[in-house]
Amino acid sequence: MTCDEARLLLPDYWSRTLSEANELALETHVATCEQCHAEAEQLGALWKNLALIPASSGDFEPGANLRGRFYDTLNAYRHGLESAPRRSLRDRIFSLWPRQPAWQMGIGFALLVIGVGIGFEIRPANPHPEQATGIELSQLHAEVNSMRQMVAISLLQQQSASERLRGVSYAYRVQPSDTEVLSALLTTVNQDSNVNVRLAAVDALHAFGASPLTRTAIIQSIRKQTTPLVQVALIDLLVDLKETEAAPELKKIAADDQIDAGVRQHAEWALGKLQ
Amino acid sequence: MAQVGGGDVAKMAVLFERHHRALFRYFVSMNRNRELSEDLVQDVFLRMLRYRASYDTRQSFTAWMYQIARNASVDQAQKRRGEVVGIDEFDDRRPEPASGAAGPAEIAEKLQNLALLRRALDRLPEDKREILVLSRFQNMKYEEIASVLGCEVGAVKTRVFRAVRSLEQIYHTLAKEKTA
Repeated sequence: MTCDEARLLLPDYWSRTLSEANELALETHVATCEQCHAEAEQLGALWKNLALIPASSGDFEPGANLRGRFYDTLNAYRHGLESAPRRSLRDRIFSLWPRQPAWQMGIGFALLVIGVGIGFEIRPANPHPEQATGIELSQLHAEVNSMRQMVAISLLQQQSASERLRGVSYAYRVQPSDTEVLSALLTTVNQDSNVNVRLAAVDALHAFGASPLTRTAIIQSIRKQTTPLVQVALIDLLVDLKETEAAPELKKIAADDQIDAGVRQHAEWALGKLQ
Repeated sequence: MAQVGGGDVAKMAVLFERHHRALFRYFVSMNRNRELSEDLVQDVFLRMLRYRASYDTRQSFTAWMYQIARNASVDQAQKRRGEVVGIDEFDDRRPEPASGAAGPAEIAEKLQNLALLRRALDRLPEDKREILVLSRFQNMKYEEIASVLGCEVGAVKTRVFRAVRSLEQIYHTLAKEKTA
């Protein structure tokens, strides 16, 4: 076991959630490595003392009036619910309309497509059908693309991770030359708080791989990531795109002790593939 | 919570009795302001009442409650942006003596160390402080914390280790300053 591996096991060791085999391996390592022994002892003591902080002071106990305020609020809320008039049928129908802008936009988009479809079906006969159909179709394509772009960007900015995942899946439907969606995807890869969303965004970047901007951004993003899983996915993407420009950065990653051992190994493997 | 979601809002009182102290401890550890923390506890229970229909019974209630607590905290911080937070509000207060068999000198030293540790915790960046508060003060499992923070369990463990290491560095700096 290496020192880095031992350190990563410490949180489980402290919370007593480590498996018996790992516990034994950790204790064996700590007993033989002076540096890890000192570190584990110091941090372990700190971890124990942390739990004593709330009990050491009255600051962490709420005031007596909090309970009274809560029960007043609860009673008022119950009274409000009981005295509220029953909603009319009209109100109930209106309440079905979603409040989230993303859903509203989605329904608006669906209605637009249905409207265009109906209009297309009932249109009058045209003396030059081929030419007119071509123009209409290209207009329709442009509108659909614009709507998809709006939906994708809007969903990528939602608070809910599942909504942002839907935004990523919408990104597959826009033109690969769409720089606004590309920029939103890159922001998601670098800044999204949810690792699943980041991973999905990395996959979606594949379609935008022809752009040099995308490739440079992917190379720069590896170091910004805190999760090895995303770092590995970015390296895989560079291999898929056969991005030889990534070699110098991959060499640096493979040699950087601060980076996760699995990621370093993967960077070495990628270097072999790209050369 | 499932019963509250089903319309029996009076059952919220049971949840309040069970969780309000832990919630208060979370807020006060994060913002160091008792009055504000009490307002936030009140706000969380009100939000749980309002959004009771959105609670998914397959989800951990604690994780859901802390997700609401974090949102309430963020909204409050946005409202208070620009105000100076009283970081030393508690520093002037003396901790109450703890019970136990140790002698007075030992108790006094232990309390001094805990006070120093709390000052170190206050100086920790908010994200690191939060993960330690959730795991040590709230006794939440790493899986639950991952659900609250929207990240992987492995990432939580890595962040816990980093936070403890940063805390230890700050603690030692403060201890050196004190003895200098």
